[in-house]
Amino acid sequence: MSRAVERDVLAGAGLALSVLAAAAVLAPKAGSSRIRSQRIAALPRSGPQPRTAVRAARRLNGAAGMLAASVLADSSVEHYRGSFKNRAMYTPLVVSALTLATSLHGTSDMRPLAHRLRDGCYLLAAATGLLGTGFHFYNVTKKVGGFSWQNLFYGAPLGAPMAILLSGLLGFCSERVRETARSPRPEMFGLPAARTIAAVTGAGLLGTSGEAGLLHFRGAFHNPFMAVPVTLPPIGAALLFNAAARGQGRAHPFTRAWMWLLTAMGLAGVGFHAYGVSRNMGGWRNWSQNVLNGPPLPAPPSFTGLALAGLAALGLMREHRDA
Amino acid sequence: MYDDALHMPRARQGQAPDVFRPGGWVPMREYRNDEPVDFVIVGTGAGGGTLACKLAEYGFSVVAFDAGPYFRPLEDFASDEAEQTKLYWTDDRIVDGANPLQLGSNNSGKAVGGSTVHFAMVSLRFRPEWFKSRTVLGYGADWPLDWREMWDYYTEVEQALKISGPVTYPWGPPRPRYPYRAHPLNAAARALAKGCEALGIDWTETPLATISAPRGLAHPCVYRGFCVTGCSTNAKQSALVTWIPRALAAGAEIRDLAMVGRIEVDDNGLVSGVHYHRDDGWHFQRARNVVVAGYAIETPRLLLNSATDRYRDGLANSSGLVGKNLMTQSNQAVWGVMDDEVRSYKGPPSLAITEHWNYADKGKDFFGGYAYMSQGPLPQLWANTQASAHGLWGGPLVEEMKNYNHVVGLKIVGEMLPQETSRVTLADEVDQYGLRIPRVTYSWCDNDKRLIDHSLKFMSRALQAAGAKDLWIQEDDTCHLNGTARMGDDAGTSVVNADCRSWDIPNLWICDGSVFPTVGGVNPSLTIQAIACRTADRIRAMARRGELNRSARRSSAPISATTDATASTA
Ligand SMILES: Cc1cc2nc3c(=O)[nH]c(=O)nc-3n(C[C@H](O)[C@H](O)[C@H](O)COP(=O)(O)OP(=O)(O)OC[C@H]3O[C@@H](n4cnc5c(N)ncnc54)[C@H](O)[C@@H]3O)c2cc1C
Ligand code: SF4
Repeated sequence: MSRAVERDVLAGAGLALSVLAAAAVLAPKAGSSRIRSQRIAALPRSGPQPRTAVRAARRLNGAAGMLAASVLADSSVEHYRGSFKNRAMYTPLVVSALTLATSLHGTSDMRPLAHRLRDGCYLLAAATGLLGTGFHFYNVTKKVGGFSWQNLFYGAPLGAPMAILLSGLLGFCSERVRETARSPRPEMFGLPAARTIAAVTGAGLLGTSGEAGLLHFRGAFHNPFMAVPVTLPPIGAALLFNAAARGQGRAHPFTRAWMWLLTAMGLAGVGFHAYGVSRNMGGWRNWSQNVLNGPPLPAPPSFTGLALAGLAALGLMREHRDA
Repeated sequence: MYDDALHMPRARQGQAPDVFRPGGWVPMREYRNDEPVDFVIVGTGAGGGTLACKLAEYGFSVVAFDAGPYFRPLEDFASDEAEQTKLYWTDDRIVDGANPLQLGSNNSGKAVGGSTVHFAMVSLRFRPEWFKSRTVLGYGADWPLDWREMWDYYTEVEQALKISGPVTYPWGPPRPRYPYRAHPLNAAARALAKGCEALGIDWTETPLATISAPRGLAHPCVYRGFCVTGCSTNAKQSALVTWIPRALAAGAEIRDLAMVGRIEVDDNGLVSGVHYHRDDGWHFQRARNVVVAGYAIETPRLLLNSATDRYRDGLANSSGLVGKNLMTQSNQAVWGVMDDEVRSYKGPPSLAITEHWNYADKGKDFFGGYAYMSQGPLPQLWANTQASAHGLWGGPLVEEMKNYNHVVGLKIVGEMLPQETSRVTLADEVDQYGLRIPRVTYSWCDNDKRLIDHSLKFMSRALQAAGAKDLWIQEDDTCHLNGTARMGDDAGTSVVNADCRSWDIPNLWICDGSVFPTVGGVNPSLTIQAIACRTADRIRAMARRGELNRSARRSSAPISATTDATASTA
């Protein structure tokens, strides 16, 4: 295969995979509860709340998977656009695909045990995110003008690799929660798991909102709806921080509702971005150019991924007094 | 219906072309020839198009004439330099003087929307001191306008055109944020930036009248770089796609392929309408006021061609200044090649700029200033430049063209000083309408030459510092046309007052690039449009006070008392 065809195939595969995976993550799990109860019955019941912990862990796998799907699709498109100029640009595709597979595995795994491979993979994702941020930072600063609006707008997006970092972090959290199914309370590194995850997710929401803010500022907020992802998520983050700070054993119905709102917002964002694509010269008839040119279709669902993580944390909090 | 913009008027029968939809139409109000309209405007470019819009929105009845066709860019423009010569004013003209101008593509358009249909979109504000360059900087002539007032009108135009510009602008007094963000830099712009950083001066992204995000039905820029042959995506915010649609919506009529040949003067010495040529015949449109906005050659030509027994030297010419003080801007360049591919033609041609030498007063051996910008010549223009300015032909030309993707260049927009000897007069020859054609006489003065020298030396250093090799200099190029009907405070030394109203005939106005007393070192279109917005406001104010029929000599009191122009701009 010529390099160009190879690139097309790779980016195409990345896209297809991420769409399928996102659908799988979001699909209602018919019949899964039956399997779950059967399997769990067979496991040793040493902790007080294995079900709660495993359910929360699986939800977190789902959230991590959603983020990974978003990264896979986004980096496929964006790095394709950048012609994979640097070999390292293939990394996020491979790693997010792995993370996605891992997360799918996690969502269907009922065992209250961390999985070594999953752990490894999530750590790899987190490391990739950190490294990617470094790379993108280098790309921005080495350009003439350095750390300027021009390079922040049009250089490698600083915030983008954070999404795979968050995916890795949430996945890693998921494994920790799963592990503590048999201990008195779900925790990570001695911290209450649910509250920690709520805080991490809140921070993730702020960061992602910052990224959307930067890019929507680049687009001059020409459509009033562009203000939505810079207003709703920070409120969500504040609600999560609040839950993390003093949330034990409470239901947080408003925060939960807000998370569902953000989940929907992330999905609706794809529609808005599709409309944005249509406003470029040639519209969707000229899709092969405009999908690259226009607002990134796969970016908004990272809010969905984070909101799902928030829901998992809130769920755990509700069901487990000390989480 | 046979629909050929170049040969058949399109704006008629109650409709005008919809520039945003292939084959589309929008409703248009029409006026009868014998119905005296409030304003006839001659020319629909930066000056005329803007004024038509604003006056119509203020409730005046307006008919705006343009000798050129009414295009729908989405379907009428090709990515082909030869085809797009249809946008240029290439009617016969005679050029002479020590430095005869090359007229056509680089300085005049003939279309609804005027030269802005194929302009390069650079949208800059004057340096405040230039409005009083005689008093404050010691050269040229003072404007009768106050920079602070102009600052507000610049803002209005920037908003109307959704200028895409840098988040903060490095020079001059603060200005509001540009409505759209700057475009990404191409490699040619980055070379400019590198050169500036090496020489320790500021640079920035050029504020451009092309959108970096969608706007209504206009698509964002696609960075294919055909700007100076007409933008086929409507990203370019020309008068054709901004002011004109607004003008139509507000009830103005546009008459395309309608060449105004003569302004009629009645027995009272007031203008009463215009004679225009459309559909193979001459017609007469009655009007209460006539605004001439045909740009700095056609405006004086029309005024001179309209001479009567009463006004033997042409209309509005008691000062003898109509046609005089023609100013172009120096447009010299330094070119080189880079080792890496540049593909300078990708994107709008001038994505980065430095106005350093507009604002610095030390280190100069000349009056005035210049900006310089990155360049992106299209292939045919580039081959022409290599052949004419670089003197290459045959084998060497072919060889040089192989470097096209590596070419990088910097070009100035430099201030040339007003001189009465540089001027537009009438030749004895006539054009296709039987009208006497203009003779355009132009010579550089010593100051112009010193400015050019300074810029070429500086840009050579900058280009070298950016890593370019095989440098060569394009010594003779000019752009933009201004002057020829300057505005001023005194009827003896200017043609119109600050309101663009002629001193001699109170219902005759001039509102285009002709009214500039000096040109400054920035491209003129933003200033022309700002002046048009101001003129519209002034006309409305005068109409409200019932002063439209009074003499300009009596009603020219400034609206604000602030004529002390340049305090606190440093
Ligand atoms: C290639 C090019 C690039 C440019 N780039 C820039 C830039 O980047 N930035 C910038 O600020 N400026 C730029 N300019 C200059 C700018 O376009 C002009 O200064 C501006 O458009 C002049 O405005 P105007 O209203 O005086 O005349 P125009 O915009 O030229 O409009 C005059 C109109 O009047 C019509 N007309 C003339 N006489 C008659 C008549 N007798 N009857 C009927 N109609 C008539 C003409 O057909 C024309 O349409 C550029 C110009 C060119 C040619
Ligand atoms: S580069 Fe942009 S402004 Fe220029 S012609 Fe193309 S779309 Fe229009």
